[in-house]
Amino acid sequence: MKRVKRSLLLLMVMSITVFSVIAEETILEWWSWDVELKARNEAIIKKFEAENPGVKINLTTLSTSEYWTKIRLLANQKKLPDVFEMSSGYVEEWARDGLLLDLTPYVNTSLNKNDYYMSVFEAGKDIAGQGKYYAFPFALVTTVLFYNMDMFDKAGLAYPNANWTWDDFKKAAKKLTIDKNNDGTIDQWGFWFYGRYAHIEPWIYSNNGELLDRKTMTYNPDANAVEAMRFLTDLVLKDKSAPSKKAMSAFRQQDIFPQGIAAMWVDGSWNIDNNRTVADKKTRWGIAEVPRGPNGTNKYVNGWPDYFAISPYTKNTELAWKFTKYICGEGLSLDMYMAGKIPTYRKLAESPDFLQKDKMPPNMDILLKQANMPMKSSYSIGWSEWRGYGAAESVGLNGIIDAIIDGDMSFDNGMKTANESINKILKRYYR
Amino acid sequence: MLIPKNTNKQRTNVGKHRLAWYNSIYPWLLLLPTLIGLIVFRILPIAGSFYLSFTDWDFLRAPQFIGMDNFREAFSNPSFLQVVANTLLFSALYVTGIMIIGLFLAVLVNSKVPGVSFFRAAFYLPVVTSAVAVGIIWRWILSPNYGILNNFLQIIGINPPFWLGDKSIALFTVSFIQVWKMSGYYMIMFLAGLQDIPISVKEAALVDGANSRQLFFRITLPMLSPTTFFVLTIAIIDSFKNFELIYTMTRGGPQNATNTLVYDVYLNAFVHYRMGYSSAVSFILLLGVGLITYLNFKMKKRWVNSEY
Repeated sequence: MKRVKRSLLLLMVMSITVFSVIAEETILEWWSWDVELKARNEAIIKKFEAENPGVKINLTTLSTSEYWTKIRLLANQKKLPDVFEMSSGYVEEWARDGLLLDLTPYVNTSLNKNDYYMSVFEAGKDIAGQGKYYAFPFALVTTVLFYNMDMFDKAGLAYPNANWTWDDFKKAAKKLTIDKNNDGTIDQWGFWFYGRYAHIEPWIYSNNGELLDRKTMTYNPDANAVEAMRFLTDLVLKDKSAPSKKAMSAFRQQDIFPQGIAAMWVDGSWNIDNNRTVADKKTRWGIAEVPRGPNGTNKYVNGWPDYFAISPYTKNTELAWKFTKYICGEGLSLDMYMAGKIPTYRKLAESPDFLQKDKMPPNMDILLKQANMPMKSSYSIGWSEWRGYGAAESVGLNGIIDAIIDGDMSFDNGMKTANESINKILKRYYR
Repeated sequence: MLIPKNTNKQRTNVGKHRLAWYNSIYPWLLLLPTLIGLIVFRILPIAGSFYLSFTDWDFLRAPQFIGMDNFREAFSNPSFLQVVANTLLFSALYVTGIMIIGLFLAVLVNSKVPGVSFFRAAFYLPVVTSAVAVGIIWRWILSPNYGILNNFLQIIGINPPFWLGDKSIALFTVSFIQVWKMSGYYMIMFLAGLQDIPISVKEAALVDGANSRQLFFRITLPMLSPTTFFVLTIAIIDSFKNFELIYTMTRGGPQNATNTLVYDVYLNAFVHYRMGYSSAVSFILLLGVGLITYLNFKMKKRWVNSEY
């Protein structure tokens, strides 16, 4: 009988202990769209939980397309996860609707600013458009000029460098456009682009141009922006050193440069990863800053962050901040970054491993230089619609530039159409 | 013990009453799971979408009632009118192609030649192949400089066009590929119809001296009309569901040239998050499909011969 009593007592004590542990446990919900990083994110959670007893992190990982639909509905129901991944394309809209916790007090008081590229924080602040930090950037992407070193060597050209101007670029593009067997078909293009945002905007910002008037939120490309668009479209229509969009219609756009069809290409730095996969292992290629336009000063770089944000409805603000700081900095390792994405946490970005000297391109240090520069991008509310992005890339400004280089629309008509149609869209979003 | 004479009769009547109640509720009980599914997953979302078509809703905020603004915006937008024109052209090309090629293939595989089963399976294969895979492979085939088709055309001295890049032919190209993919499906329907035609009628025509052309156009085709009507109705509805190939091959481009109503619904709902406008476009599509199907049924009496 005594034994039974003792056992019952022990059971009660154990139950109370377990119950109290459960009762004390603080749970944070974390949402991410990076399916490939799921296992590594789970490892981060284990480490964080070990360092913070009584904290439990629930990770939900969804593919990008599913992620945005579901999280928007959760936002509508005020049931956002405590911490969630945020994109530069949506940060302004979400900040406007009060769906992101204002991190300004935390950034100002609880962040060692020497540990991070604060230029990236500033870029995020500019995109959100309210003079406040609404999300914590963990990575930065910039746009760069990719060039094929073998083709440059064969043509006897010096590689692009930070002092390259549009004229230097134009001459090189012409020389690199080659019909190898004289059959009237170009086998190697000097350059290639279409209306895609990461193909056009870098040239606009390298000429000190602007597409949007941010005060009135209207599409109002200044003379420098128009000059950049004319320069690019002339490469196809006059110089014939870049192909039309329709001539490249069968390719995945990101494969054209690494497959050796074009000698130069401007796009996001994250394409370093795909270039390494697609390009022949013997091919040598590098990256450079986008050439400077006649009105350019090399002051700005076209770049934007990826972030984690905190729900304004979270009941554990301090813990959510602590965890966000962890998953944007000390909790991360370099192998979690796709090649070409730059960690905002300096310790990672400035470690020798980031440069990956044993792989192409040999000059990854350019990315670190860019990370310190002020940044610009064209993101706004309704961006995918007016800019023409992803599944909608045949419309908006993207579609219009494609129409110009395909010879279906004159440049002036294209600019006029863009002005009318884009302002109609922006007016709807900013009424 | 006094037993009333009509007790058995009364019992039978009571039983019948009970059975009547049971009989009236029993079919509904069996239908209940389907009805619940129909109401929850079809009727309520359709009703919800109908309401949303009069609102401005970006998912983030509560829907705002804006009356007919979405419909007004659609019909005053030139690019939407282009989308409607693209949809109708795609539909016309698809339905015509599918009817002719589906029937042609069905007549081919209806003959009793050795190995015909292989051809039936081969023609049906694209139907069960993933639309994404079909789209990617056709993109390779149609590649301007490296595609097998253009290389072949160049060898025989033809200057090939940009099949997917030229805005004047891209919609025709995508329609053709959709026809290629789905012909096998309609072939099976036509084949069933062909095999249902009594052989005695054909034999009688042959005895009367009909040649094979007369046999096909005067006997087979009229007697196939119920199947043809069914295939036409299904093909028209099917022609408006053309999302996958467009998404894989052209993304609505070049310059909106292959953007159709279904693709436009997707773009507005899940890329631009304009659920209200997207619902309005959905209802325009629904009305269009409904109207064409209604007209098709109205015309049925004129050409469908359902008795033989």
